[in-house]
Amino acid sequence: MKREGSLLASLGRVEGLPTAAVLVLLYLVFIVLTPQVFLGYRIYMSFFQTIPPQLVLALGLTLVITAGEIDLSFPAVVALSGFFFAWCFKHGLPPWCGFLVGLASGGLVGYINGVLVARLRVPSIMATLASQFFWYGVTILIAGGLQLDIAAVIPSLEHRVFTGRIFGVLPTQALWAAGLAVVMWFVLNRHRFGEAIMFIGDNAEVARVMGINVEKTRVTLFTLMGLIAGFAGLLLTSEINVFYPTQGQGMLLPVMAAVFVGGTSIAGGSGLVAGTFFGAYIIGSLEAGVVATGIGGYWVQLVEGVVMAAVVILNIVINEGGISVLSGAVRKWSVPVRSGSGH
Amino acid sequence: MSISIKRTLTVLVVLGLALSSLAWAGGTKEAGGKQIVVYMQMGGTAGDASTLARTNGARAAAAANGVKLIEQYSKWDPQTMIDQFKQAMAAKPDGIVIMGHPGEAAFAALVDQAEAEGIIVTSGNNPLPNIEAKYQDKGFGYAGADLYDGGFLTGQAMVKAGLKAGDEALVYDIWHQEGRSRSSQGVYDALTKAGLKVDKLDVSTEVDSDTSLAIPILTAYLQKHPNLKAIGTQHGNITANLPKVLQAAGKKPGDVICGGIDLSPATIAGIEQGWMSASFDQVLYLQGYVPVSQIVMTKLYKIPGLHVNTGVGTVTPQNIAEIKPLIEKGVR
Repeated sequence: MKREGSLLASLGRVEGLPTAAVLVLLYLVFIVLTPQVFLGYRIYMSFFQTIPPQLVLALGLTLVITAGEIDLSFPAVVALSGFFFAWCFKHGLPPWCGFLVGLASGGLVGYINGVLVARLRVPSIMATLASQFFWYGVTILIAGGLQLDIAAVIPSLEHRVFTGRIFGVLPTQALWAAGLAVVMWFVLNRHRFGEAIMFIGDNAEVARVMGINVEKTRVTLFTLMGLIAGFAGLLLTSEINVFYPTQGQGMLLPVMAAVFVGGTSIAGGSGLVAGTFFGAYIIGSLEAGVVATGIGGYWVQLVEGVVMAAVVILNIVINEGGISVLSGAVRKWSVPVRSGSGH
Repeated sequence: MSISIKRTLTVLVVLGLALSSLAWAGGTKEAGGKQIVVYMQMGGTAGDASTLARTNGARAAAAANGVKLIEQYSKWDPQTMIDQFKQAMAAKPDGIVIMGHPGEAAFAALVDQAEAEGIIVTSGNNPLPNIEAKYQDKGFGYAGADLYDGGFLTGQAMVKAGLKAGDEALVYDIWHQEGRSRSSQGVYDALTKAGLKVDKLDVSTEVDSDTSLAIPILTAYLQKHPNLKAIGTQHGNITANLPKVLQAAGKKPGDVICGGIDLSPATIAGIEQGWMSASFDQVLYLQGYVPVSQIVMTKLYKIPGLHVNTGVGTVTPQNIAEIKPLIEKGVR
């Protein structure tokens, strides 16, 4: 029993495993309640189609939060990069050109954010909030408020590579997002840059004393977040074949929820990339799952909130050693009650 | 140079740029005579499918009449509309254009106050019939579709496209906001009257902003209800995403009859390709042009409020070709 308890506790400490367990549990519940939906492949393909942009954003945000900062400007970057991609295509430039311009626009926004935060010491929540309003306004202004239809991009190589369908079914953006998750994990956990991020998130002054260039790391971090947000905008625009001026605006809360459901501490100092990966799929599939159970009308939002709260609590219990408490309770319950003079 | 001096200089430069951009954006004054100033509630977000043509119409009327137009975007939130009306009143403009989403109870006292201060108030998109009747002689008019009738028309067009009694249908819209569900109620009633079994599904706040998020939700619903024959909505961006939803669910054009609203490029493509059977056209351009013109006519010539019904019908695969170029310009 002791071995079982410590096995469970050990498993609970594997990064992302508790959140993955919650995701699997959630899908099992959906399968039991709605087998005709969750035993088919289409619902999962629709998740792979729509969740990757949010996942990509959440991966970048995980690093930012690990450093003890926040970035609220990514919805605006999603719109800005999407606009440049669509505009370039509509004006006869090859899709890869629009792709690079879109990425560069995200990087520029991120760099400016980094300078504001690192060099001018503006709190990141204020700097990036202002950045969100400003760059969203810029996007609306240069777009003239117009949507841009780019359905003609579908046959292009860029579209096939980034948002095509493998075997006619599997969205490639899901693979790109998964690949980025692997890269981000290595950056955070096996690279000097990631180490610096964690030290800064823990205590920036101690990090400075240890020889870490805190300002340069922060600028690089926000620039990276800008590039990642730009990439998310490109995936979104390429997938839906339309640039909407409002795109990205609905992603702020779900992306942040994905990071925190994944177990990354809001206090900074540590980040769980694997947790964010599974957290994004939890958040991204909640509403669809609730709807599939047949709950309709005004009940969907309420039930979604209850399920999200349960997921968060379960995740916290598992991540904070609650699993060992649970295993202890299971152990206690499994000991037979002795009759007579027992002890 | 120390950090604090650098920061101070940067702040001053940024402030200077911001102030000069405000001055530049403010526009030029007319020579001789006071320029008419109009605050106008545009509705959603700048550039979205249900707002763009209205904005363009308002700007065209402002340009034609030399009006200084102040645009207000509320993301369709009734409380924001009220707050923005108060902000407009504080600026004491010549006229204010409002929408009826917050309801007459919320607006009545505020309109009374504005009228007492000599501000001309008129409305668009969502009516305020009692307030309109009270202040019509002072220029309170309405330019918009009758939302319920428009939705009903859309529902009827969907039935005509091939639905019959007993078929299953879904109306997916913002049911939790009364002001934004009048037209979808019309769709619901038209389908119900035709004998269909109609379900309602509420659009969440996140989907309202980023309608691509509706794809897995509607995919799940379609998988759960394999006999679904129709989807109706009166949300412009969800209308535009319906073809993608049906493709993700493995449907072909015509498998599910779809009815929507407004005319974005994606909706046009959906109609042309047979995914969409009908889209209610409320001629948003007129909803922008007429109210601004109304305020000018009342201010200069004391013309009473005009009630203009802009809901002229539905766009179908049969009539889409001729207005497509205008839609792409953001005029229709």
